[in-house]
Amino acid sequence: MSQKTILYVEDNEFNRKIIRQLLAQTSYRLREAHDGESGVRAALEELPDLILMDVQLPKISGLEATRRLRADARTAAVPIIIVTSYALDGDAQKAKDAGATAYLAKPYSPRDLLAKIREIIPEA
Amino acid sequence: MRASVQRKLLVAFLLITLLFMAMGAFSLFTIREMSRQSELLDRAHQRLESAQDIHHSLAMQMHLTAMALLVRDEAAVASVLRENNRFNEALARLEAAVEEPERAAIQKVRASQEEAMAVVADIANLVRDGKIAAATQLHGSREDPLYRSIDARVSEMVQRENARMVSLRDGLRAAQQRSLLVMTTFAAISVLLALAGGFVVSWALIQPVYAAHGFLNELASGRFGGTIVVPNRDEFGELAARLTATSRELARLDSEQRRAAQELVALNAKLEQASKAKSEFLANMSHELRTPLNAILGFTEMLGDGLYGPVPAEFKEPLADIQTNGRHLLRLINDVLDLSKIEAGRMELAVEAYSAQEIVGMVRTSLRSLAEEKGLEFKTELDAGLPEVMLGDARRITQCLLNLAGNALKFTKRGGVTIRVARDGEAVRYSVSDTGIGIPPEQLAEVFGEFRQVDATVTREFGGSGLGLSITKKFVEMHGGRIWVESRLGEGSTFHFTIPLESAAVASTL
Repeated sequence: MSQKTILYVEDNEFNRKIIRQLLAQTSYRLREAHDGESGVRAALEELPDLILMDVQLPKISGLEATRRLRADARTAAVPIIIVTSYALDGDAQKAKDAGATAYLAKPYSPRDLLAKIREIIPEA
Repeated sequence: MRASVQRKLLVAFLLITLLFMAMGAFSLFTIREMSRQSELLDRAHQRLESAQDIHHSLAMQMHLTAMALLVRDEAAVASVLRENNRFNEALARLEAAVEEPERAAIQKVRASQEEAMAVVADIANLVRDGKIAAATQLHGSREDPLYRSIDARVSEMVQRENARMVSLRDGLRAAQQRSLLVMTTFAAISVLLALAGGFVVSWALIQPVYAAHGFLNELASGRFGGTIVVPNRDEFGELAARLTATSRELARLDSEQRRAAQELVALNAKLEQASKAKSEFLANMSHELRTPLNAILGFTEMLGDGLYGPVPAEFKEPLADIQTNGRHLLRLINDVLDLSKIEAGRMELAVEAYSAQEIVGMVRTSLRSLAEEKGLEFKTELDAGLPEVMLGDARRITQCLLNLAGNALKFTKRGGVTIRVARDGEAVRYSVSDTGIGIPPEQLAEVFGEFRQVDATVTREFGGSGLGLSITKKFVEMHGGRIWVESRLGEGSTFHFTIPLESAAVASTL
């Protein structure tokens, strides 16, 4: 099997670093985007196997980005994990409504996140 | 001019009284006048009687003289003299009764009568001497004409007295009619005046009463500040002025109160806004806090997991400490966030069917290691009679039970903690008992307040944000349940809360 690609849309440098270092130990390939709009663009340029989407993002929110990706036929089937913010009540429901495959509350355990990723797209 | 009600009434009644007094005086006067008139009438009657007596006596004298001549008897003439005495008496009576002008006529009658008596004496002498012819001749030539002239004079007097009596009688009748008319008119006017006076006075009294009535109705219906207008300058006028002043004062108080209420409303809105702003600030703040905390916890976990290479044994404990404290900080942030959301009215319950068994199981799993670490017994008891389906926000109920059981474990040094779930009427009751330090009675009421723990040292020794019970209480109340505690200092505490079986009914924002 070929290497699987994960697109991570997140504006916080340290959070991106955690995922970068976490996935460095695996066979997954990581691509990064810093805001909602560039996240959508990156997904359409090169279809990822999974998208990891933060909710609070500059320009357009993770929810809006997810809706746009779900509306596009090319990305409609790509699994999306939304990292919800505990601060905003009903985020889990909003994530589902936007079309997320799964959701994870912040702060998340890197260990748990990796397990969830592996569950959805097993490593090659 | 100011006139009191009393004065008005006095004047009205005095007027009426004066009228009746005048009427009484007039009546007295009339009665006196009439009695005087009737006295006059009486006297006229007496005069008439006397005159008639004279008339009669005169006729007798003439008759007796004629008789004496006829029977030629001197004794008959003596009778004439007797009759003369009667005549004189009657004449004297008449003289006493008549007015001055009549007296002259009476003198003449008396003079004629004396002359007649002298003739009668002559006739008597002639009769005694037997000279009848001469006596008869004397009678015919002297006595008869004298008598006739007397008779004519007396007749005249009788006629005059009669006429006078008639005129007196007519006058009296006219006076009677006049006085009757005057009295009737007087009485009618008095009655009319009394009625008019009564009407005017009562109208003057009743009008301000009506005005006050209407005015008070206005006040009663909350329309303050009006003016009552009455023309009275008496006590009613004063009352009206008072009422107007009272109404103005009420209007002033009312507007003051309204202004105060408006200010309060505005202030309240401002405070609510400030409170909301505070809650929103806290929500944002805790979100901002969570992002770096996420990174701290993430890096620590990966470090511990050996992602960056083998972890030296002596690093393991400090790494675990970082994680423990990081998670504690996270709980504090979550508590603050929960409370601020509840206070901002942005906390909503997700009410659905849940299983008490699952909740208790989750709590047990979360806290078992803590109980084991402290060497405490940790028991859970579920009543067999619990309903199949219970409604509530499972996540929040779990949080409540976790708070209570976590606290119980924290505050217990030996013994154990027991969670019981049982049916309590139309609700499920969750109870958490411990054998911990207990709560002093005077602080029982305060334990559910924000930032309350038995004392500040407890927070340092046992940790916790001091918000757990407060949040638990709010979640329970949002479900429509209640929370309470029983405790004995040094022996332990039992916290209870209930969740109504039909809690969906109250599952809205608090």
